[in-house]
Amino acid sequence: MLVIILMMALLTLYGMFTPPIEQKTRIQLEENATIYRLDADGNEHEHLAANQIVGYRVVVDGETREYSSTNIERYDSSARTLIQVNTVNRFLNKSNLVLIAKDASFFAIIAVGMTGVIILAGIDLSVGSIYGLSAIVGAMVLSNLPAETGWIVAVPLALIVCTAVGTACGLANGAMSEGLGVHPFVITLGMMAALRGLTVVIPQQFFGTQSIGGFPTSFTTGFFKAEFNGVYPVPVILMLLCGIAGWFILSKTVFGRRIFAIGGNETAAKYAGIPVKRVKILVYTITGALCGLSACAYLGYYGAAETNAGNAYELQVIAATVIGGASLMGGRGTVIGAVLGAIIIQLINNTLIIFEVDTSYNQIVMGAAIIIAVVIDQTKQRIQARRA
Amino acid sequence: MPASEPILTATGISKRFGITQALDDVSVSFRAGEVHALMGENGAGKSTLGKVIAGLHAQNSGSVVINGRELIPGSLDDAFHAGIRIVHQELAQCPNLSVAENLCLHDLPTKGMTVDFAEMERRASMLVHQLDPDIDVTKPLGYLSPGRRQICQIAASLDKNPDGSMIAKVIVLDEPTSSLSISEASILMDITRDLASQGLTMIYVSHRMSEIFTCCDRVTILRDGKFVATNIVADIDEPTLVEQMIGRRIETPAAKSDGMTAESVETMALKSEIRGDAPDQPVVDSEPCMKIRDLSSPGKLDNCSLDLHPGEVLGIGGLVGAGRSELFDAIFNIDTRATGSVNVDGREILGKGIRAAIEAGVGLGYVPEDRRIQGLFFNLGIDENILAPIMNRISGFCGIRKQADELEAVRNRINRFQIKTASLSETTPGELSGGNQQKLLIARWMTEQTKVLLLDEPTRGIDVGTKSEIYKLIRQAADEGLAILLVSSEMPELLALSDRILVMGDGQIKGELTGVDMTQTNILTLATKEKHQEKAHVQLN
Repeated sequence: MLVIILMMALLTLYGMFTPPIEQKTRIQLEENATIYRLDADGNEHEHLAANQIVGYRVVVDGETREYSSTNIERYDSSARTLIQVNTVNRFLNKSNLVLIAKDASFFAIIAVGMTGVIILAGIDLSVGSIYGLSAIVGAMVLSNLPAETGWIVAVPLALIVCTAVGTACGLANGAMSEGLGVHPFVITLGMMAALRGLTVVIPQQFFGTQSIGGFPTSFTTGFFKAEFNGVYPVPVILMLLCGIAGWFILSKTVFGRRIFAIGGNETAAKYAGIPVKRVKILVYTITGALCGLSACAYLGYYGAAETNAGNAYELQVIAATVIGGASLMGGRGTVIGAVLGAIIIQLINNTLIIFEVDTSYNQIVMGAAIIIAVVIDQTKQRIQARRA
Repeated sequence: MPASEPILTATGISKRFGITQALDDVSVSFRAGEVHALMGENGAGKSTLGKVIAGLHAQNSGSVVINGRELIPGSLDDAFHAGIRIVHQELAQCPNLSVAENLCLHDLPTKGMTVDFAEMERRASMLVHQLDPDIDVTKPLGYLSPGRRQICQIAASLDKNPDGSMIAKVIVLDEPTSSLSISEASILMDITRDLASQGLTMIYVSHRMSEIFTCCDRVTILRDGKFVATNIVADIDEPTLVEQMIGRRIETPAAKSDGMTAESVETMALKSEIRGDAPDQPVVDSEPCMKIRDLSSPGKLDNCSLDLHPGEVLGIGGLVGAGRSELFDAIFNIDTRATGSVNVDGREILGKGIRAAIEAGVGLGYVPEDRRIQGLFFNLGIDENILAPIMNRISGFCGIRKQADELEAVRNRINRFQIKTASLSETTPGELSGGNQQKLLIARWMTEQTKVLLLDEPTRGIDVGTKSEIYKLIRQAADEGLAILLVSSEMPELLALSDRILVMGDGQIKGELTGVDMTQTNILTLATKEKHQEKAHVQLN
């Protein structure tokens, strides 16, 4: 699969070219431990000049452990800790990888829904604006909650409000394009502009600001930005759950297979008695709901909503699905590909940051990546078609 | 018959597509002024040979020589300059552009910076009006009937030198009548004969037996990519041709009376093959399972009424454009503007949507005319193609699929229909032969719930062997109690399969034929009756 090859290539590049960084950890010694400094001949000393130390020997209850000075910087006698220094790859370390996955997760969640839309041979340009509007409306509700509100209230409330806004917008997209018989490109283009307008107007009218914050901490650091072992995994977990659900629906349910059937041949789907309009409207609605869900995670993680939230997300989301192997002609695409595609886009962004390239270049690189991915994919299809 | 020297010779042509050997050392020569048919079952290589001659395909070995000059393999351009033209359905036509633009597309006349429309239309009408003076070249091509579109394609090959002689020397017609009605096809055959008499070589790729005898001088038979024989049509009979095509002889009952036409012999043979020795069944007396009353649709259907009984095959005859497919679309609720009444087992379904038509208790099934556009999902496996309408019935909670049950349902039907496929879920319909694709679409509706099956041209463009398999399956399904409405433009098929025949024309049902009255002549007489005439039982001659 193309995505995986691309990903491995990028990882190799990172591994080879990113400068390493130093990471310090402290090894806490036991209360009854005795510590000796070792010289070049292996003799134990209570005190020794720093340049003569080749290692440390720790004796606890008759047991001995030795540390080489190559990765021990010094012994901090007041805190009874050995300070260990490891040089780690700047890219391939736990916190950076989770950071990339986290940054990708906000639009990867939307890409799960977009995969369905693209398989239908449709398009949804309004996802960024739906995301922005859901975030602003959610923020208005959250900022009015008392600061001590528990997560048991704040989290479900925010989820309901954000997804309700998203669902309504998605339903409007689907119902309008199917009901009026207008191509979804036109409808969602209009919705993209209109909903972004609402996103800017609402906070100005009610708050007079460009940004709404001040949420209960149980919602932010208590839930969506909860820390585990130095990383913040909640948005990533949400992304994985959505990905699994999307994969299951597309491949294991009748609804999912109907999406493929309609995208493959809409006329045939009609003649086979598949409720084409209903399926299409539902797919747009689900995509809207996922925008709302993602917006909720964004509120919780960043603790505030900006009026430009989700700007140009439609580009990133469509790029993720296309890089992930979905065909804009419809009938083909995978959720797993879309999620990996989102991560690849974030990898590219992250590389450029690590190499300290001006962020304006991101757009250029991403544009090129989309075109290259599609060309490679289509060439592959053509070769397969020729073989068959 | 002109016995002149060959103008065009193909020698030792071989062509592979992947693992398929489409042509294997085929040599044929063509003379000026003859209509030369290439015949064979589907996959015999007849179309491929036509395309190699026209430079659409490059052969792997062998040569094509015209007037002593060898053509560059696979060069459409070289063949074009040598005077070879090809007319086939898949050839690019732009339905949104006018006839004139389509005809001049390769060389639009210009006046300064703009297209010279007057000159373009003059040129186009000069070409088209040689064949059909009634075609308006300013109209979009898509507005023309399929027959006239075909004529426009042929006309495009008829450009002349300044001295008035034809530039083209050879025209390859690839299945020219496959989407035409009977009357359109006969016009096209007249044109073909006429052009041959002007000295052109017409290469006529077809699998329609009757056309070979009507309009061809010689016929070359191919089988499995190999040359079998070149015959002079006047010296050969149909059973011999069939034998050459399929490599075995189909038993035909001897024509009993001298007045029997070729068609009725074919029909008789087909009938005995499908029904065995059982006598024709009388029309069923049982209560009709589908009653249609006054079914109308603006511009398409005009007060159609019919009764359909369980266990019968009711044929619907008529010319293309008579409203036969439109009738099916209205019954199946695809045409949302239809009015009247469609009653299946006491339930009114008209206007209630397609789901209402196929749901259990009503049980309609519809195999539409164009399997590629209206039937198949080329991105899905064979299993899902078969299950598409009923997957939700097999599924469990929240539409989660039960794959074991699905597999069993698919296996049953693949076995019953003998669909030849490498795998159930990995193979896509694009990898199947046309005949297997068609069997797949019929199998799709063969569920316990289906009571009425609408079949629109169920054997179009498929080979002889699979046709007779499909006929037997249709007959067998009817004998098991299924009610079948059958639309077919192939007369022998319609006559042999049907218990009764309704004839349509101008969106109306013009009359009903039963028993011995079911003949090709009677069908054509009814089909061409004037519009608004009294719908009387036909007066037979």
